[in-house]
Amino acid sequence: MVPISSRPGHVGRTVFALSLALVTWVGVAAAHTGGLSGATRDPLAVPTWLFLLTGGGVVGVSFLLASFVTDRRLVDAVHDWNRPLPAPGRVLRTLVRTGAVVVLVATVAIGYLGPETGVRNLAVLVVWVAWWGGYVASTYLVGNTWPTLNPFRAVAEHLPSLDHTYPDRLGAWPSVAGLLLLVWVEVMTPLADDPRLLATVLVAYTAVTLAGTVVVGVDDWFGEVDPLARVFRFYGDLAPVGLVDGRLRLRLPGGELPDTVLDGRDDVAFVVTLLFVTTYDGFVATGLWADGARAVEGVGVPPVGAYLGTYLGGATLFYLAYRTASRIGRSRAATYLSTDYLARRFAPALLPIAAGYHLAHNLGSVLVLAPTLAAVGASPLSPPASPPQLASLPSWFGGLELAAVLLGHLLAVWVAHATAYDLFPSRLQAVRSQYGVTAVMIGYTMLSLWIVAEPYVPPPFIT
Amino acid sequence: MTAPDPTHDTHVPPDATAHVCDRCGRPFINESQLALHRGLDHADDLSPDEEAAIETAHGEEVADLRRFRLLALAALVFLYFGFLMTYAVVT
Repeated sequence: MVPISSRPGHVGRTVFALSLALVTWVGVAAAHTGGLSGATRDPLAVPTWLFLLTGGGVVGVSFLLASFVTDRRLVDAVHDWNRPLPAPGRVLRTLVRTGAVVVLVATVAIGYLGPETGVRNLAVLVVWVAWWGGYVASTYLVGNTWPTLNPFRAVAEHLPSLDHTYPDRLGAWPSVAGLLLLVWVEVMTPLADDPRLLATVLVAYTAVTLAGTVVVGVDDWFGEVDPLARVFRFYGDLAPVGLVDGRLRLRLPGGELPDTVLDGRDDVAFVVTLLFVTTYDGFVATGLWADGARAVEGVGVPPVGAYLGTYLGGATLFYLAYRTASRIGRSRAATYLSTDYLARRFAPALLPIAAGYHLAHNLGSVLVLAPTLAAVGASPLSPPASPPQLASLPSWFGGLELAAVLLGHLLAVWVAHATAYDLFPSRLQAVRSQYGVTAVMIGYTMLSLWIVAEPYVPPPFIT
Repeated sequence: MTAPDPTHDTHVPPDATAHVCDRCGRPFINESQLALHRGLDHADDLSPDEEAAIETAHGEEVADLRRFRLLALAALVFLYFGFLMTYAVVT
């Protein structure tokens, strides 16, 4: 065999360690300048434009530093590392499934029967704190347990099936629409404050899911249509515990992503939409949006039209931006691999970013409301009048949230690097192929940091 | 390693002459990409001619990488001092 990697491993390793040290330093410098939701920014800190520029700079610098790691064996060794884990037993599986169905039924019941204030109703706390904040984080921090836990699936598997074949031409597009619809409902309605509404949405979701599984079958429904199952599946690809060739294995976070090839444009659109919905949720709470929406309403456009137009337009714009990035990567790399294929290979690199923002957005509220969850959970039908909350989070907590965002971005840059090395025989080609996706990441970081730095303004026209 | 499928995942413009791998059919834009690909993915059965081509392509790759590293280092230095100055002036 002709040795292709001429650089000895230890040089690569030194460069890698040095890169991490440098990046961490830049990260700390950035952490002083701003915090995420909840953490107030020091009024004497740097101006917003410099804050944004620094965020973009950190991503750009990490790309440059990653490009110094040119030892193919090192890159492969990092993402191929894994260890076997024992498989959980059937009894445990059945117990967990039954438990999840009980929790779902109890949540709906308490949503209708419990107190009407959001924070005193266990349904709201279970869905938003325990499930959306805590459980979802576990799908990317530990592993995707949803296929086992999924209460909708547990019920659906006992229902008869009409065995209609799922139309292949639809692909996973219904899940993109479903994700957009779910987040739309979340943004436009007081789903976190109104337990009755939340319970109704849960019932509707259950009804649609069960009907869908009866028509097209459980595997096709949860594989192609159900947005939640798909979000968790993608997050699970990022997690340190996962299935490799059917066996449960421990691996490095994100280690699976460079080998992940998405099935088609529908999957790419899904990953990009996942990033977009987080952004939209934050964007409608900025002053710029409030002013814009009022101005548009002033000329006679109904507010819901402005919201919907921006929502769908923004999602399309995000997707087109990513397509353009893939096209740039293709032309810079000088390759015959199609733009489509490159888009499908590099999109998994965006998942760590989505996970980083999810953690940053939810970690604080999970910690603050955990005592509430415990107190209300103890007596769901007659909870204390004002359930306890964590009084305040320490001042360094904003830094921790920013660190989650930064770590997500750094992992994303590394995954893109490893993906490119997997794709291209020439290492310079590999570096050049990342120009597009790196530009997208820099742009996305700056946009997100801008949203985070803006003071919270309640979205106008919605309750 | 996840290999692309040459029939579905590649697009060769009709007027281009692709350098196609005789083992897996993946097309490349130039001979040195193809040589490097052979060295990475089909290292088990190589003719002496192919090995020589790989050595040459590898030499070129290393030289190109060295040039890129210098540029990347320059960019890093520029970014570092750029930010240092900006922060010094602004705050």
